Amino acid sequence: MAIPPSELRRLAITRHVIYVLVAAAVVVPLALGLTPGKFEATPYSHKLFDKVNSLPPGTRVLLSFDFDPGTEAELLPMGAALLRHCFRNRLVPLVMTNIPSGVDLARKIVKEAADRSEPDWGRKQTSGVDYVFLGYRPGDVNLLLNMGENLKGAFQNDYYGKPTEDMPALKDIRSLKDLPLVIDLAASAWVELWIVYGADRFNFAYGAGVTAVMGPDMYPFLQSGQMVGMLNGLRGAADYEVLLEKLDRGTFGMMSQSVAHVLVIVLVLAANARFVYRRLTGREKD
Amino acid sequence: MWYKRTIPLALVFVAGLLGFVHEYIPHPLSGEFREEVTTSIRIIGGFGLFIGAYSLLHMHFSRIRRRQSGWGYSVFVFLGAAVMIFLGLWNEGDGPLVDPQPDVMTSLQWGYYYVLVPCQATIFSILAFFMASAAFRTFRVRNLSAALLLGAAIIVMFGRVPISEEFGRLLFGEGGSQLFPKASQVLMDYPNLAAKRGILLGVSLGAIAQSLRILFGIERSYMGGGD
Amino acid sequence: MPEPQPQPTPETPSARRSIELGVLSVLLIVFFFVSFLRHNPFSLSGEALSRSIGTILGAGLTLVIYSFLYRDNPLFKVAENLYVGVTLGYGAIMTWRMALREEVYRPLLLAPTSEALGQALLHRTVPILLGVLLVMRISRKRSWLSRYAYCPLVGWGAGVGISLSVHTYVLQQLHAAIAPLQQAVQNGSLDPLTWGWFANAFFPVAGSLAVLIGTVAVLFYFFFSVEHGPVGRGVSKVGIWFLMVSFGASFGNTVMARLSLLIGRVQFLLDDWLKLK
Repeated sequence: MAIPPSELRRLAITRHVIYVLVAAAVVVPLALGLTPGKFEATPYSHKLFDKVNSLPPGTRVLLSFDFDPGTEAELLPMGAALLRHCFRNRLVPLVMTNIPSGVDLARKIVKEAADRSEPDWGRKQTSGVDYVFLGYRPGDVNLLLNMGENLKGAFQNDYYGKPTEDMPALKDIRSLKDLPLVIDLAASAWVELWIVYGADRFNFAYGAGVTAVMGPDMYPFLQSGQMVGMLNGLRGAADYEVLLEKLDRGTFGMMSQSVAHVLVIVLVLAANARFVYRRLTGREKD
Repeated sequence: MWYKRTIPLALVFVAGLLGFVHEYIPHPLSGEFREEVTTSIRIIGGFGLFIGAYSLLHMHFSRIRRRQSGWGYSVFVFLGAAVMIFLGLWNEGDGPLVDPQPDVMTSLQWGYYYVLVPCQATIFSILAFFMASAAFRTFRVRNLSAALLLGAAIIVMFGRVPISEEFGRLLFGEGGSQLFPKASQVLMDYPNLAAKRGILLGVSLGAIAQSLRILFGIERSYMGGGD
Repeated sequence: MPEPQPQPTPETPSARRSIELGVLSVLLIVFFFVSFLRHNPFSLSGEALSRSIGTILGAGLTLVIYSFLYRDNPLFKVAENLYVGVTLGYGAIMTWRMALREEVYRPLLLAPTSEALGQALLHRTVPILLGVLLVMRISRKRSWLSRYAYCPLVGWGAGVGISLSVHTYVLQQLHAAIAPLQQAVQNGSLDPLTWGWFANAFFPVAGSLAVLIGTVAVLFYFFFSVEHGPVGRGVSKVGIWFLMVSFGASFGNTVMARLSLLIGRVQFLLDDWLKLK
């Protein structure tokens, strides 16, 4: 049966009103620069932070930025915070990506983090010495298996074309087995593939940052110990920034996140209150 | 015909057997063999680009040729692709073989940061509006299952934002600040964990069975139709 | 006799279209005015100028795509198709640089010595031939040739994944389902009815048991090969409750994810385009 035009108009108006409300809930707190009060990091964010914090200076840490621009809003702040932590603690991040459309995004994050850390270090970060951007190599899970046996064979050059064989940052690193920690930031099956073809196969500690959509699915791996910690969505990035005591995009977005969540909850509860009322008064049929 | 189906199926079995067995062979040859296979996959995958590009461009070219409704927009597909390929190969006038440098933004990267990133990020972000609208218009508690779903959603949505700590503080003092976050965490750590583990076990057993079916030639849908 | 269906309403009147075009013109003027005010590109040069123009372009594309929320329109369609083309072009360049140039072009056409060329031919001839066969998929008559390329890949992927998946998804998860219960029961050797017993034995045991029961109930719910009797239906019902709670958690997290993506875009518009920070 066709929907009457008046009903169509009503639905369109309702839809647009909701769009305006959502936009206002997000824009107003950001425009006014509102930040949330004190909040504590969630347990699994804390665990990942503690793991990175426990590594001595000079330790090489592999960060795999397996995301593209579609999910950069959640995962880029995580990447920035992790790199900031690595540079602050004098760790040597080895950054790669398994997503071809995310290469230049990863490159940008690394470059900005390296430039930002110059005041802490007193000098500019040098690619190949203080960090390595390996870039992207096709091969999917076979690449991971190759890295597990011969990392420099899998990446014979870094993203800028410099050979990895004699790179100071990769000295004494033969394979993934020589790395104490690998962290994957992903919005796709890559989080699990790193466990199957990486952490469980070659026995290294593994942590992840995921979009909030994937967060609940990772709990079996967290509870089993296959993951040492996890950053879940923009809140995870905000947690990491709070622990680092350096607030950035993640934290600044939390007020908008809070207001928008309350809005959605109120909308759903209001709609259901109306529904229940109409059912009790007999106006609503099943 | 045997060379159209039987030999490919045999290849599947042999490759699968090699893939399975080589993991258990600690000899260096096994690792070298896998590196060869990875290089091959890299090359074959590179040729796969032509298939994807052809499908997309053929579809839009047909639309332009037949002057179908909205054919003018398809011109922008060719325009965007041509400009990016030109920028990627031109590479600031140095020709097609120059590699990027750490401190220089190439023309290709400009196209990436200021066209691809905004478009893709915005297209994904638009879902926020549709989701809020859909939740308001369709999420109704008609039975116990829906009530459980809604209750869990509200606890998680509220518990995961910092405002819930402020709210807890307001209601119960400093000690109550973690009430809602902890409720959300308990929900994630127990019932959510149980359900997700059940789903994970079921799905993975199914996937393993499917892999075995592929290896033994029982599952052939990946081969496509025809002979 | 079936009732006549109500006729659809006529197209939007031209007055409404004129208003929309008028509003669009005003918005365009405001957009460019604000962009030039905040960025002042005429006073810039070099990389600063390219970043400025890029930011204005990015903000324009963002707002054009958001115009879809009002309704589908030509500007949105242009941006959408441009995005598709740009993604294809970028993917092509990345594939060329990371795969074809490194593994085919340079080793074969830019080999430094004849020995290196020989090695390259030895290792790369077969994959290149298979790659060419893969492209045959385009042809309707010869698409069966592509099976020689992707069938080994499919088989290899399936074979490699079997043992690793069994370990990660089955053995490790089964161990994790039972081990906490075993550990919690061991802790139960403490004196009961003390807070220590509750904290270290009762609650962990109850929690681990609840997770185990939930996991089994969910698995049982999905077991369709055998008809569920009364007990089975009861267990399935428990499984459904656990599933509903987990779907609610997933829904809550999905709301968070989608809103986060919107927050990211708004941060770009406010911080990078309008330079409010």
